[in-house]
Amino acid sequence: MINNQYKILSRRFDRNDAHNISVYEADGGYVGLKKVLSEMSREQVIAEVKESGLRGRGGAGFPAGVKWGFVPEGIEDIYFMVNADESEPGTFKDRFLLDYDPHMVIEGSIISSWAVRAKLCIIYIRGEFGWLVDRVQAAVDQAYAAGYLGENIQGSGYALNMIVHKGAGAYICGEETGLINSVEGRKGQPRLKPPFPAVCGFLDKPTIVNNVETVAAVPDIVIDGASEYRKHGTEKSAGTKLFSVSGPVKNPGIHEIPLGLPFNEFFHEWLGGMAEGEELKAVIMGGSSVPVLTAEEAMETNLDYESLAEAGTMLGSGGMIIIPERCDMVELIQVLMHFYWDESCGQCTPCREGTGWLHRIVKKLRKGEGTLEDLDLIEKVCEGMAGLTICPLSDAAVMPISSFLEKYRPEFEALIQNEKESISSSRWAREIRS
Amino acid sequence: MAKVVIDGKELEFPEGTLLFDACKEARGEPLPHFCYHPDLPIAGVCRLCQVEVEGMPKLTIACNTHIRDGMVVHTRNEKVIKAHKQILELHLINHPVDCPICDQAGECGLQDQYMKYGLYETNVCKDDKVTNPKAVVIGPEVILDKDRCVLCSRCVRFCRTVTKTGEMGIFNRGDKAEIGTAPGVELNNPYSMNVVDICPVGALTSRDFRFKKRVWMLKSADSICPGCATGCNIRLDYEADSIFRIKPRYNEDVNGRWMCDSGRKEYKSVAAENRLQVPAAGGSEVDWPTLFNKLKELGKPALVITSPHNSLEEQVLGQYIASEFCGGNSSSGLSDSFMGNADDMLVDADKTPNRAGAGLAGVKEYPAAEMIEKIKAADAPILIHTNDFDGNSEIVAALATKTVIYIGTHENEISKQAAIVAPVSCWAEKDGTFVNKQNRVQLFKRAVARPVAASEDWRLLVDLMKLWGISDVPESMPAVRRLVSVRVPELNDFDMNAIAINGEIPGSAEPDAGGEG
Repeated sequence: MINNQYKILSRRFDRNDAHNISVYEADGGYVGLKKVLSEMSREQVIAEVKESGLRGRGGAGFPAGVKWGFVPEGIEDIYFMVNADESEPGTFKDRFLLDYDPHMVIEGSIISSWAVRAKLCIIYIRGEFGWLVDRVQAAVDQAYAAGYLGENIQGSGYALNMIVHKGAGAYICGEETGLINSVEGRKGQPRLKPPFPAVCGFLDKPTIVNNVETVAAVPDIVIDGASEYRKHGTEKSAGTKLFSVSGPVKNPGIHEIPLGLPFNEFFHEWLGGMAEGEELKAVIMGGSSVPVLTAEEAMETNLDYESLAEAGTMLGSGGMIIIPERCDMVELIQVLMHFYWDESCGQCTPCREGTGWLHRIVKKLRKGEGTLEDLDLIEKVCEGMAGLTICPLSDAAVMPISSFLEKYRPEFEALIQNEKESISSSRWAREIRS
Repeated sequence: MAKVVIDGKELEFPEGTLLFDACKEARGEPLPHFCYHPDLPIAGVCRLCQVEVEGMPKLTIACNTHIRDGMVVHTRNEKVIKAHKQILELHLINHPVDCPICDQAGECGLQDQYMKYGLYETNVCKDDKVTNPKAVVIGPEVILDKDRCVLCSRCVRFCRTVTKTGEMGIFNRGDKAEIGTAPGVELNNPYSMNVVDICPVGALTSRDFRFKKRVWMLKSADSICPGCATGCNIRLDYEADSIFRIKPRYNEDVNGRWMCDSGRKEYKSVAAENRLQVPAAGGSEVDWPTLFNKLKELGKPALVITSPHNSLEEQVLGQYIASEFCGGNSSSGLSDSFMGNADDMLVDADKTPNRAGAGLAGVKEYPAAEMIEKIKAADAPILIHTNDFDGNSEIVAALATKTVIYIGTHENEISKQAAIVAPVSCWAEKDGTFVNKQNRVQLFKRAVARPVAASEDWRLLVDLMKLWGISDVPESMPAVRRLVSVRVPELNDFDMNAIAINGEIPGSAEPDAGGEG
């Protein structure tokens, strides 16, 4: 990885022992926690985080400090949850943080919990990340032993317990109310809002759910202040962000970038351009749920919330998928439609029926049995799914397929008119036959 | 109060009113919906009741929105209508559309709402559909067709929050989700058939009613369940002279929208094999004039035994006879008759619909021993007017030595040995009032015709009064009801001919609000 000057969240990723509390402490760890407990008021911490412009890194980009401010006064039982159910296709940043620097996440979680007056913090880790549960649990145990968790933390009188909770394998449990239901032992289905979890969440008490990367940014913000954090990024997209890049580029993997970085620069200088013999066709910027950008569109945009919104897509989780020219867009969308169909929780009709319908239509197209009318039907089904459900999974299915169809319609049409053979990968060929 | 504008209409509602209810009032009809039910927790999953609230970025569901002062809402603009149509289409894509063989056809939310809000050309071919098992027996009363289910979760919420038995759930996820019961679990609770009522489609149907009748052929009569002292408001659905099912009728103050499964079976006794069909004297069939001649020969009664199953009107007439000829010697059955188990919902321990009415009429109840004394002491005929006298063998033996005039609906040990048997109408075959355990006077109306040769109860009692020499008798049901008001002190100021649809408690401050239907 190059561009080391922007390595803030990922500054200890290259050290293979940073998950040990001694290494973390020696590197300035838990200083932020000690500082807030001894020098700052809760209001100051919330104000500082608000001022920093830190936005939720899970995908929605909601300002973290503002979310914390929603917790009502005068309630004793408040919960803080760390969303480590990282399952957006293309996204693999949180697992790096938890694997290589779990104490930064834990410290950020303790500070955040303290700021919102939580008495219990739950780290919800995606079930498939089995090894991470052990890694994080070991770090939590160290933090207890060092007096950063438990009763009377660092003599401040503040008590906080931390639980590492393992999910059972559902994409939708990454939606904060689905996550809360899952922790409560219920079916992983998002809750109807309002009420929002900041008012009525876990066990019907105020609950703040933040992404791993969001809380990981908190210690630096309280130590160095909001203005230092704002040195990177833009007015509306402050700080740095981890991008997890997959696809045939020369340097795939985790890259921490200052928000606002032009994609062109990121692509050529950071990622090193396409791998030998590959040509850039399209980019999914922020995880599979966001609209795709063509290579030309991507080259003109910057990597921050507002520029990407202007380009008609989203920063999302920072799960960047680089699509090479040789990739069949219809096959790719089938993979995604299979995913959303499989992961829809099934409670809202538009999503339950719509994701299945889209999946069936795409499958039919790939079998070579599609018609041009089916393409119009896809658009129609999408209309009935977008913005009409409890959670954004329905939109998350609509955004890729409608943008694929809008930008790569000739590929769909060619397939229908039998001008090209589509079935290419064995797994999806099997899926089609089934 | 909050002022809102719905479809251009300015209306005022109490702060916090559900937008769904406000829209219903403004539109004169509810928004399209499947999952919303006023007596169940909000699920918000069918997504059909979308409306546009000005100032909100997206459409929102009315069932999870509370009104705020100044809210401007559109329920019929292009955007909303389009959403209704699209969401309805999504409800239907995996539906089997097997209406020709579906019991729900004619009262189906999918059919009705498609006709109202859908009316699009189909985009699905039949090979595209997700199919699910049909005709799964899930309990003694209910059968489940998973293929027709729209996963509104009303039944799940009912079992979870109303009966708190939790038999039903949604299994699996996405479009593989299906309603069902866990392995080894039956939907078997005393209120299980309510899930049939609340199912908006033909997924949950009644095993009793299944395939018996097309619902559009049925007529309905408002009635009161005779099964216990709760007096659930019900609807008798009938065609020609047969009752096909009983459905609860909404009455917030009595049964809400529910009733028990056992109450739904009450209609079965109406067409039972042991119905008394024709008058009989001395064990042989006679016509009514002959019967009356026999009665004249037998003379006036010495004891009147009525039943807490009889209507208030009949109780008053029976007591009238008792006070004129028997020195007030009457009993409405036995003090411990027809008692059973109660639950904490609707079922009452008293299995009769009108014990309170008998009390109002002044009819007493005696324990069995005392009743036997009275029977033994009777030196003239004993008039028994009852649906089903809960007589023990000692009473039957005591009556065997006496001359019994039996007015009733069903054959039993007492009718078999009675000197005179006069067949009369079941509750479903006549008009009347029951007084439930809250002292609420409730009307029930005739649904089907009584057996050809049977008499109407009040008419027979009046004819007997005339036979025994009372000249000033009521000659119509309204007149009988006026007589009730006169003879029952508690009802002196109560107009028995103008009882509200939800029933009334005499002397209570205000009449109850109208029912919802």
